[in-house]
Amino acid sequence: MIREALGQQSVAKLPAAAAVVALAGLVDAMYLTVKHYTEEPVPCSIIEGCEMVLTSSYAEIAGVPLAALGAAAYFTAFSLALLAAFGNRFAWTLFGFQSIIMALVTAWLIYLQAAVIGAFCQFCLISAATSFALVILYLVSRFTRLK
Amino acid sequence: MKNEPKSSSIPLAIIVTVLIVVIGGAYWFYNSSKPASRNSNRAANASNTAKTPQPVTSAPLGAQPPNMLGSANAAVTVEEFADFQCAACAAIHQTMKEIQSTYGPRIRFIFRNYPLSIPAHNKAYEAAVAVEAAGLQDRNKFWAMQDQLFTNQKLWTENPNYRQLWNEYAQKIGLDIDRFQSDMGAAAAKDRVDRDLQRGRGLNVDSTPTIFINGRPVQFQDVNTASIRRIIDAEIQSTAGRNQPQAAAGNSGNAPAAGNATEGSK
Repeated sequence: MIREALGQQSVAKLPAAAAVVALAGLVDAMYLTVKHYTEEPVPCSIIEGCEMVLTSSYAEIAGVPLAALGAAAYFTAFSLALLAAFGNRFAWTLFGFQSIIMALVTAWLIYLQAAVIGAFCQFCLISAATSFALVILYLVSRFTRLK
Repeated sequence: MKNEPKSSSIPLAIIVTVLIVVIGGAYWFYNSSKPASRNSNRAANASNTAKTPQPVTSAPLGAQPPNMLGSANAAVTVEEFADFQCAACAAIHQTMKEIQSTYGPRIRFIFRNYPLSIPAHNKAYEAAVAVEAAGLQDRNKFWAMQDQLFTNQKLWTENPNYRQLWNEYAQKIGLDIDRFQSDMGAAAAKDRVDRDLQRGRGLNVDSTPTIFINGRPVQFQDVNTASIRRIIDAEIQSTAGRNQPQAAAGNSGNAPAAGNATEGSK
């Protein structure tokens, strides 16, 4: 009983943490989306190459900025994680699928920056970090439940 | 993870609140970022004119003579490094035209080719050569071709027969097509692009568009009409202040013969 109770508590905390992380990703993606539409250069203070990445042909899919798609994905992830934090198991399962897909897309985007474009964008890397954090939180929750 | 019907409205309320805050925040950020026209007065009040960036002390001269508009004797030099496949450069193109027409001979505007060496910009170098080839026929044709390539950027960038489109643009602006094509293959136009590239590298240009005003790089957030105008106005004022006593002493000011006041001198 105690183990079960502990398991429930940690799983509830992980979705809450995932919601916070998704919110951070959402803010980052929204920032890039607005910058895309205002056509302003994005400041690149930590590393070089933001402009190369954000003005590349990979920055849009069918005319829709990748950042906007990311913002939509993070908002969905946030909503699912929050529902899960309040006890909705199905939402957490959906979150798991989504976070895995997001991590795969993120891996592809990092590959594009490293191997094709040859430059990195710090805001894209922040998004990558949040995306990987989401899938890690989900996997940890699965591991905890198995115990 | 127990189902608690009573609390189901709480997450929904949070989700809706976050959605409203995010959309509202994005709208506010968009309005406050979309610079120029709306906040020009507020921006003009800011007195931090290009304070932080320091002028670069030495760099190759770039193509000579440079692609220049305005007056060679102007006290303020605006130098833009751009790539013809860069969307932000196409976006800022209208701003730079506006700046040129606003200040006319009060500034010296120099355009530098800076095609980025990235796969996504695989036609950028060739585009820069095409524009320089146009300029070899007539300096005014350089600007006409530059305008064509920026204005129609999406069109030719996505077209596998982009060279055909360039020929059409060349025809439209009245170039001799045979000469245009032979100049594109010749060394002179490429040499000008390479020299601009060397200058850009010397000035540590790492992205496009990069704009220098009297040798000082304009910060990213200031690449908009209002901020550029504010910086130029401040430069004109400070130069006028400096020149008054110098003029009395018979000093003729900057020597623009090399065609570029910012080259290594600021």
